[in-house]
Amino acid sequence: MLEVNALRKVFGGLVAVDTISFTVPENSILGLIGVNGSGKTTIMNCINGIYDATEGAINFRGTNLVGKKPYEIARLGIGRTFQVPRLFRRLTLTENLMVPVLEDSRSNAELTEKANALLAEVDLYRIRDNHAEELSGGQQKLVELLRVMMLNPDLILLDEPFAGVHPNLCKVFLDQILKLKDAGKSFILVSHDLTSVYSLSEHLLVLNQGKKIAEGNAADIQHNPDVIEAFLGR
Amino acid sequence: MSSNRLVWTRTSIWLGFLALLALGLGLLPAYGFSLAFWFYLLLWITLASGLNIMAGFTGYLPFGYVAFYGIGAYAAAVTVKMHGLPIWAGFIAAALAGVVLSLLFARTMVLRGIYFSIVSLALAVICRLLIAAMPEDVAGGSYGIALGFSNPDGAYYAMLALMLATLLTVTWLAQSRLGMALRAIRDDPDTAETVGINIGRVRLKAWVLSAVIASMTGAIEAWYTSIVDTETAFNLLVSTKAVIFAVAGGLGTVIGPVVGTVVMLIVDDLIWQHFPVLNVFLLGLVIVLLMMFLPSGIVGSLIRAKPFLRRILF
Repeated sequence: MLEVNALRKVFGGLVAVDTISFTVPENSILGLIGVNGSGKTTIMNCINGIYDATEGAINFRGTNLVGKKPYEIARLGIGRTFQVPRLFRRLTLTENLMVPVLEDSRSNAELTEKANALLAEVDLYRIRDNHAEELSGGQQKLVELLRVMMLNPDLILLDEPFAGVHPNLCKVFLDQILKLKDAGKSFILVSHDLTSVYSLSEHLLVLNQGKKIAEGNAADIQHNPDVIEAFLGR
Repeated sequence: MSSNRLVWTRTSIWLGFLALLALGLGLLPAYGFSLAFWFYLLLWITLASGLNIMAGFTGYLPFGYVAFYGIGAYAAAVTVKMHGLPIWAGFIAAALAGVVLSLLFARTMVLRGIYFSIVSLALAVICRLLIAAMPEDVAGGSYGIALGFSNPDGAYYAMLALMLATLLTVTWLAQSRLGMALRAIRDDPDTAETVGINIGRVRLKAWVLSAVIASMTGAIEAWYTSIVDTETAFNLLVSTKAVIFAVAGGLGTVIGPVVGTVVMLIVDDLIWQHFPVLNVFLLGLVIVLLMMFLPSGIVGSLIRAKPFLRRILF
């Protein structure tokens, strides 16, 4: 589904991502882990067009994403959430969910109904007319995921979805991810919550200072000496 | 009551109010009222609402908004005076001039926040200097253009029609998908683009719309006063007042700029009547107090204080 080949991103003299390659197969979850500054979010930003890759290629179902604008990439079927939730703070929850589908041919009533149904699934329907800025951080993350679901992308990039979220809300979040996975969606998951990443991801990529230091399934990664050193030090 | 029904109800009430307002204001000339106050009330409501499309809905504060107003005034005056065409042709020329100038300036929207505001201000000054430097037989030179005729009643009705058209447009915008996209861009342009909005195309629509409203306003004012000169047509106070009135009422709301303009013009009038010497000082004080205690404007602050009002006011 997604092929990243020799991706390199340089900011001034800083090499944030250094010749990274990986693939995301259909209906899979790829976990991206690494300490702060290892390049995880930069990779996400290159995939969805926020940053232009300095070198390398990113192919999504045969289309090269390098040089495309974020809205074009979103319309190709790639959605994302952010480490710090980025909702439209003065739009209501229903409106927040409708923004990705404003060019959809469905009627406003249909879109509103769909948005409200998603909000009801996570018990936020009762506050659907509240502005997003009135939500807690965890609720904002949840609404951000629902917003991605409205877009109905095939690949979803999740940046630290569990950070700072109450365990009860984490459970709701996990349920939604698994539901989407069952529906055939693929994910790239960036998280410091290793337990969640290990349990959700079929395949893991470990980064350190912009370089890939390990790749494999959870069992391989957990016993890899380079990974242990990068996370815990010598 | 469901959200859709609420929107329908509040829009119906608002449109009913506008119809009554149009009727009342339309009868003023027939009853011999002095039109000066009312003409400028309509003019400022129109400008504040037009500016609100960019500043309130899209998040771009164009301090140089007067450039569109000035170019509209000049386009109409040149068409009528220099080419001997009727005033309606002047209005068309003004609208076209607004479109062309907004397209020329569209590139400035890659800038954000104060940088965009400063550049738009500079462009308005450049427009004024360029027109003043043109030969007299092209744009009247530094003396401006006297139309040689005036029709205050006609100009008043034209301004009333433009104000109603502007308010109807803003009302539609507030409830349309385009309006929702604009408000999303206002809140976070990068995220709006990430979720699939072509922000360049969407904000250009708002920019052109906002510019045409200002250029048409300038054209009608030229007809009303029958004279156009660069110092008046490109006076930065035009932008400043439009910003103050829109902010005083509440940027991003439909009725905010209307309320802000009415309140500020009444306050200004009262201060003039009772404290003519301290007029500017007291008006400044009112603006400072308003921004300190109602930073989201009169309507905006009401909505913030009482969120349920969001369902009624918009």
